[in-house]
Amino acid sequence: MHQSAFTRTLRTIAGWLVVGAFFFPIYFWTSVAFRDAKDIFNWPPIFFGFQPTVRNFEQVFGISLGFGFGSQETVTPGGGNFYMGPRLWDSIVVASFSTVLAIVVATLASYALSRMHFRGRHEFVNWVLSTRMMPPVAVAIPMFFIFKQFNLLDTYTGVILVHGLMNLPLAVLLLKSFFDDIPAEIDESALLDGASRWTIFRRIVLPMAKGGIAATAVLCFIFSWTEFLFVLTLTQTGLKTVPVVSSTFVTSIGTAWGNMAALGAAAIVPAFIVILLVQRHLVRGLTMGSLKQ
Amino acid sequence: MKEKDRKFYLASVTDRFVRGQMDRRSFLRTAGTLGLGATALGMGFGSRPFGVTRALAQEQLQPSAEVLSWLKDVAKPFAGTTLKLATESTPPSNAINSQLKKYFEEATGIRVEIEVLPLEQVLQKLTLDVASSLGSYDLYYIDQSWSASFSEDVFDPREQLQEKPDLAMPNYNIDDFMPALVDGIAKYGDRWVGVPYDIPIFIMIYRKDIYEKLGLKAPATFEDLLNNSVAITKEMGPNLYGYAGQMKSGHYALECEWTSMLWGNGGSIFNADKKFVGNDERGIAALDYYTRLKEAMPPGVDQWTWDGQGQAIAQGVAASMLSWGEFFPYFDDASQTKVSGLCEAVVPPQPVALRKPEECGYGEIPGVGHQGGSSLAVSRYSKSPDAAWIFMQWATCADTQALITTLGGGTGPTRASVYDDPRVKANARVGAGTTRHLSVVRETIDKYMGSEPDLPEWAQLSSDTIPVGLGKYFAGSYGSSKEAMDDIASQVETVLKG
Repeated sequence: MHQSAFTRTLRTIAGWLVVGAFFFPIYFWTSVAFRDAKDIFNWPPIFFGFQPTVRNFEQVFGISLGFGFGSQETVTPGGGNFYMGPRLWDSIVVASFSTVLAIVVATLASYALSRMHFRGRHEFVNWVLSTRMMPPVAVAIPMFFIFKQFNLLDTYTGVILVHGLMNLPLAVLLLKSFFDDIPAEIDESALLDGASRWTIFRRIVLPMAKGGIAATAVLCFIFSWTEFLFVLTLTQTGLKTVPVVSSTFVTSIGTAWGNMAALGAAAIVPAFIVILLVQRHLVRGLTMGSLKQ
Repeated sequence: MKEKDRKFYLASVTDRFVRGQMDRRSFLRTAGTLGLGATALGMGFGSRPFGVTRALAQEQLQPSAEVLSWLKDVAKPFAGTTLKLATESTPPSNAINSQLKKYFEEATGIRVEIEVLPLEQVLQKLTLDVASSLGSYDLYYIDQSWSASFSEDVFDPREQLQEKPDLAMPNYNIDDFMPALVDGIAKYGDRWVGVPYDIPIFIMIYRKDIYEKLGLKAPATFEDLLNNSVAITKEMGPNLYGYAGQMKSGHYALECEWTSMLWGNGGSIFNADKKFVGNDERGIAALDYYTRLKEAMPPGVDQWTWDGQGQAIAQGVAASMLSWGEFFPYFDDASQTKVSGLCEAVVPPQPVALRKPEECGYGEIPGVGHQGGSSLAVSRYSKSPDAAWIFMQWATCADTQALITTLGGGTGPTRASVYDDPRVKANARVGAGTTRHLSVVRETIDKYMGSEPDLPEWAQLSSDTIPVGLGKYFAGSYGSSKEAMDDIASQVETVLKG
């Protein structure tokens, strides 16, 4: 279809505006991470041309650049200690293992729901969906008591379990839709050839659903990465994830915006890496089911 | 190499580096060979990134031998215990957590785990702990507005001193806590809800250079404050405004500043009959005064809590504020602000009139120096109350408080004797972590302190009902200050009736 030069220019400008609207907050937040406190609240605001510094990163990760690891005892004049290196590790552990947990269980469950016809199957799917309707805050307090009873409070196992369970309904529903898109005739052909259900699942269906599993895993990872309430309620000093420790930059004498931005900017990286790793499958997964035969 | 030769060599190396004739790696390697670290070279690296210059040697910034010796003796039976404390990120908690608790742990064998959270999350954790009686936390950080709620859930420290003389720290001297703070922060009825732990309090902070440039004197009265602020804004606005407020709609910060305006204009929140009287004649005058003062503030002030207010001074956008004294050491930090050495602290302006405490209800004490603060107490549900009591005595003794004030960046001590401690006085110079404002803080506590009322509904009133109503007024939702305050009064009565 022929487009006039004016239309093309307009489309390009619109495209750049949309990209800019999404990219600008990330740029600005990241640029705050590289500013001294006195350069953050300039009026009028400075978007470029400030004196960059890595001081915020040094404080947050205890790394004195070029001088090896610094000390956890680094204290700002207000007495704040913003050493958060281990907390980033906590986030990576929790998000990774809870994603694995959710995906393993959800893959098996959703395959069964997609292929096996048993009484109450639809009700079961509705029940799975309904657990997502419950506000997390309604569950957090009872969870606290249960976890305390089972010594799961303030442990990796506890938080991984709760994040895994939190993501399970969504993962089951998403994966079920992906499995539904794979023709059942393939399973039936394999059955006729003598393959067991497990073999069909492992050797045939699972490889075909790789894209969908990758897309679901990314969503589970991101939900765990950004989850706040459960970690706040179910942890004390043993571990904390990035969203919860980010709130500790709010001190009694103000907010350490530069440090908060440094942690936030650094926290984008692991999630970004996960997405890059599965990117090849992700596009396929996100478009799976968009065309019906 | 002789010292003289070493210095000459260093000078020449530095010169080459500055001129770009030597790369950074070579320069640092050479400097390292000469026995100089990057910090000594002024490169801003190292373990103190904000470049806090200390007036004291490191050995003076450690707990005294007497205290450590007592800890070693008294804590022997409790070695191996773990104590937990959830606290707001305040200078005392951060100084203990980051720098001081290691001395306690080494001396006692007791492990201390401190969970630092925003204030509202601390409240959530404590409420859960009390409701469950699980003893997840051994020590409670109690904001002054919660003292009524937690008064029965903690030990009264006076009782602990009497009942456990074998655990009492020699020279702990509980009477050293400033009486005004005990009344304002740590007392509910006859009980001590812990001991005063930190004391943020409103003092007057102003830009001396701007005031001198315009021939103004530090605001001594409320009238001065308004006139000076208007004059500065008129003369220097929009580059610089006379006053910065903390007026975020619906936020506790707005309620804090409003109480100062209210008390400073002779009003009070409640009368002796426990009736809300913020809408009486003095209350209306206070809100009108606040409205006039707002006209001298930067645009956008109704989006600021104390955070934005402090930033306005730090960035040189405003010339004065009546706010938490803890900001002052921050303003003196040249690496953080543009006003290092330019600010001065004075006691709050004299009020137009001042109501007496006996004319007010719920223990309200009118005073322009609005007081915040918290207490530290041992939880009744703690599984190790004795070990927690030893920690609490150590964390709040005079020696530790002096270290907190010095290491924690000039925060106000709650013990009278600490203000005279040589270590604290040695830091009374321009620079990060200064204590040069502490004489003002002390005088404000003694003479001008204002305390909010103590009642179970206060958390809701101070963080919701009143600041939401005031926010609506400043947004133009009411026809007049009288209409706004009457509406707030009726809402307060509704809350009180339950």
